Amino acid sequence: MAERAAGTDADSASGSRARFGDRDVGTLATYLAGALFWGWIFLRWLNDWSGGVFVPARQAFVPPSLFRGVAAGVPVVGGAFEALAFAFEYAPALVNALWLTVVLTVVSIALGFVIAVPLAASRVYGRVSAWVSVAYIELLRGTPLLAQLFVLYYGFPWLTRFFRGLPGVGQGVLPGQAVFVAVIGFTLNSAAYQAEYIRGAIESVAPGQLVAARSVGLSRVEGVRFVVLPQALRYAIPGWTNELVYLVKYSSLAAFITVPELFRAAQNIASSNYRYTSMFVLAAVLYLGVVVTATNLMEYVGRRVAVPGISGGEGR
Amino acid sequence: MPCPVPVPGGLSADWRYVFENACYLGDGLAVTLALTAASLVVGFAAGLPAGVAEVYGRQSDSAPVRWVGRAVRNAGVVLRGTPIVVIIMLAYFSFGISPAFLAATAALGFRSAAYQTQIFRGAIESVGAGQMEAARSVGMSKYQSIRHVVLPQALRRSVPGFQNEVTIVLKDTSIAFAIGLAELLTKSYDLFQSVGHTTAIFELILVVSAAYFVLTFAANRSLEALNEAVSVPGGERG
Amino acid sequence: MSSESPSDPPLLRVEDLYKRYGDEEVLNGVSFDMDAQDVQVLVGPSGSGKSTLLRCVNRLTEFEGGRIALDGTPTDEMDENDLRRQVGMVFQDFNLFAHLTAKRNVMLGLRRVRGHSKEEAEARALEELEQVGLGDQADSYPAELSGGQQQRVGIARALAMDPKLMLFDEPTSALDPELIGEVLGVMRDLADQGMTMLCVTHEMGFARQVATDIMFLEGGHLVEHGPPEQLFENPRHERTAQFLDRLTSLHGGDHG
Ligand SMILES: Nc1ncnc2c1ncn2[C@@H]1O[C@H](COP(=O)(O)OP(=O)(O)OP(=O)(O)O)[C@@H](O)[C@H]1O
Ligand SMILES: [Mg+2]
Repeated sequence: MAERAAGTDADSASGSRARFGDRDVGTLATYLAGALFWGWIFLRWLNDWSGGVFVPARQAFVPPSLFRGVAAGVPVVGGAFEALAFAFEYAPALVNALWLTVVLTVVSIALGFVIAVPLAASRVYGRVSAWVSVAYIELLRGTPLLAQLFVLYYGFPWLTRFFRGLPGVGQGVLPGQAVFVAVIGFTLNSAAYQAEYIRGAIESVAPGQLVAARSVGLSRVEGVRFVVLPQALRYAIPGWTNELVYLVKYSSLAAFITVPELFRAAQNIASSNYRYTSMFVLAAVLYLGVVVTATNLMEYVGRRVAVPGISGGEGR
Repeated sequence: MPCPVPVPGGLSADWRYVFENACYLGDGLAVTLALTAASLVVGFAAGLPAGVAEVYGRQSDSAPVRWVGRAVRNAGVVLRGTPIVVIIMLAYFSFGISPAFLAATAALGFRSAAYQTQIFRGAIESVGAGQMEAARSVGMSKYQSIRHVVLPQALRRSVPGFQNEVTIVLKDTSIAFAIGLAELLTKSYDLFQSVGHTTAIFELILVVSAAYFVLTFAANRSLEALNEAVSVPGGERG
Repeated sequence: MSSESPSDPPLLRVEDLYKRYGDEEVLNGVSFDMDAQDVQVLVGPSGSGKSTLLRCVNRLTEFEGGRIALDGTPTDEMDENDLRRQVGMVFQDFNLFAHLTAKRNVMLGLRRVRGHSKEEAEARALEELEQVGLGDQADSYPAELSGGQQQRVGIARALAMDPKLMLFDEPTSALDPELIGEVLGVMRDLADQGMTMLCVTHEMGFARQVATDIMFLEGGHLVEHGPPEQLFENPRHERTAQFLDRLTSLHGGDHG
C-alpha cells in the first residue's frame, strides 16, 4: 500500500526523527558556511582599513592568477576555474563596498527604531498626536523609497552641503556626505514601517493582560513595562526580520544618490569591464549571504526568547 | 496630438512647469500602471502553482514532485533575498530582455511570484488538515480536493496578503528607473534634472507622490471591498 | 466468524491488523467482522487506537500488517477513492467545507465523485438534508449553523455517496450536551433503516439500545467483543467492567 494515502499522517514519529537528524546536519552546515562567509568578510575589512596588513587593499588573499593558470591548463573544467578567478579578482572590491551596505542597514534600523516607538505609541494611545503619526506613517509607506531619497538629495541641496562641511566627512573612516543623506532617508522610511510592526505587536497582546497586571497591583506604566511590552516585543520579531531584510536589499537604492555601496560598486566595475552578468551575480550572492544571515539570526533570537503560546521568530 | 491639459494662470514658474508637462507625466503614470498590472499577473500566474507545489511537493510520494517543490523553494529564497534593482539589471543586461518594459515586467513579476508563493503557501497551510481529510473521505482525489476544497478557501484567505503585495509592486515599479524605463518617477526625474528647472523638484515630487499615494489608497480600498465580497457568511472556521 | 462460504463474505472483515507510529504500536492484531446492518460500537480509553482503527478502514491511514476486506474485496486491491466513496466517515469536529453552504457541502461529492449533473446533485442533496432534519438550512454556511446542525450536515454529506458502511468517530463529543440528542437521533434512524455502522462513541445509552455489538479496545488489543447485554451484565474481563462502569456514570444519559 502506498504510504500516506491522503497526505494526512506525514508526522509519523520515525519521519520526524529522520527530519530532526537532517536538521542537525543542516544547522551545522549553515553555521559553518556563515562563519566562513563572515570570517572572510571581516578579514577583508580589517585588511582594507589597515591599509593592507595581509595583501594590498582590495586585492584577493589568493591571487586570481592561480586559478587562471589552472583554467588555461585544464580543458574541461577550465570554465569553472575561470569563473573562480573572476570571483577572486572582483569580490574584494565588492566586499569593501558591502561595508557601506551594512552600515546603512544597521544604523538606519537602529535610528528608525528610536523614532518608531513613540510613533507607534502615539498612534495607539494618542489623540491629536495619533493623527500626526497616522499621516506620517501613511505618507512614508504610500510613496516609493526612491522618490523619498530624491527629495532629500536633490530637493534639499543644503543638507548635502551641511554634511560635506562637517569635519572629517569623506575622509578616513567617515563616509561621504551622500551616505548621511541616505541614512536620513532610510531612517525616516524605516521608522514608518517599524512603527506599524510595533503597533501590530502591541495590539496583538490581549487587553486582559493589562487588566490582570493592574489587578495584582501594578501601575499602568509598570503593567505596560513588565507585562505588555515583553509580549509585544516577541510578537514584533517577525516584523523586524522583514524590516532588516528589507533594508539590506533596499539600501541598494542609495546607489542612485551616488552612495558607493555594494550595488553601485558592482555597477561601476561592470561598466569598465563590461561583465554585467558576472558582476551582478557576484553582488547578488553577497546580498543573499547577508539576507540569509539576517533571517537565521532573527530566527535564532526568536527561538531563544520564545515562550509557548507566543509565536516569535517564525514569520508567518 | 497636443496636450489637452490647460495651464491655469497665476501660478509660480515651477507649478507652471508641472502643468506644462502634465501629459508627459501622464504617460509615465500609464507606464507605471501597466507595469504594475503586468507584474502582478505574472506573479499570480507563477506564484499560485508554486505555492501549491511548495505545500504538496514536500509530502508527495514521488521523487520528481518533491524535487520540483524543493527547486521552487530555493528559487524563492534567491528571488526574495536579492535586491529588486539587481534583478532588474540582470533581466535587462544579462538576459537581454528588451524593451525595458518587458525586462522590468519579468523582474518585478518573478520577484512578486516569489512573494505570492509565500502568501498562497501560508493561506493553504492555514486551511485545516480536516478539510482535506473530509474531501478525501467522500472519495475525491487529491487533485480534486485541492481544486474544489482547499484552494477556494485559501484564495479567500490570501486577499489581505495580496493587497500588501499590490502596493509593494506599485511602489517598486519606480526602481525601473535603473534601466531608464519611462515610468512616473523617471519622467519626473528627467523634468527636474533639466536645466533651469531644478527648483521644480518639490512640485514634481509632490505631484508624483500624490499619484502613488492615491493609487496605493485606491488599490487598498478595492481589495478590502473584494475581501468583503468573497468572505464566507458567519466567518470561516477551520 | 459465522460463515466461511465465499458467496457470503462479511460486509467488513478486519484481520490481524497491525499499525505502528514509529516505535509506538497503536494496533496489535485486531480482528473482527461486521455483517450488513450491524451497528458496532467501539469504546476504549484515550489513545487506545480507536480513531486509528477507523482511519485504517477507509485508508486515510495506511497500516503495516493484516488485511481489511470490504464485501470480500481486500481494500488494498481497490482504488482508494472508490473505497472511500463506499465508506462514509463522520468526524468529531465535523470538517464541513467552510466555504460552501450546507447544500453545496453535500453536492460536492455527488458532482465530482459520482458525476451527477448539477440538478441531480441538488435534488439529492436536498433529500439528504431533509432526512437529517435540515431541509430549511440548505443555504446556510457552516459558520451559521450550530454544532449539532453541522454534524447532521456532515452525516448527510456522507450518506449522499450511498455508502455500504458508515464510520463515526466520536460524532457527539465536540457538542454541547443539549445538542447531542439531535445527532444521536439521526444515527438511531439510520440504524433502524438498516445502515451498517461502526461507531466510536461514549454515549452508553445509545450503545445499549442500538448496538448489535460492543468492542472494548485497550492498548491496541480488542480486549472484549460481544453483544451489549453481555458486556454490560457479564463482562469476561475486570477491565471491561471497570471501563464501562465509568463510561456509564459519565455518559449514561439517554439523549436519544
Ligand atoms: N499521525 C500520528 N502520528 C503519530 N502518532 C499518532 C498519530 N495519530 C495517532 N497517533 C498515536 O496513536 C495512538 C492512538 O491514537 P488514536 O487517535 O487512534 O487514539 P483514540 O483511541 O482515538 O484516542 P481518543 O479517544 O483520544 O480519540 C495515540 O497514542 C496517538 O498518540
Ligand atoms: Mg480518537
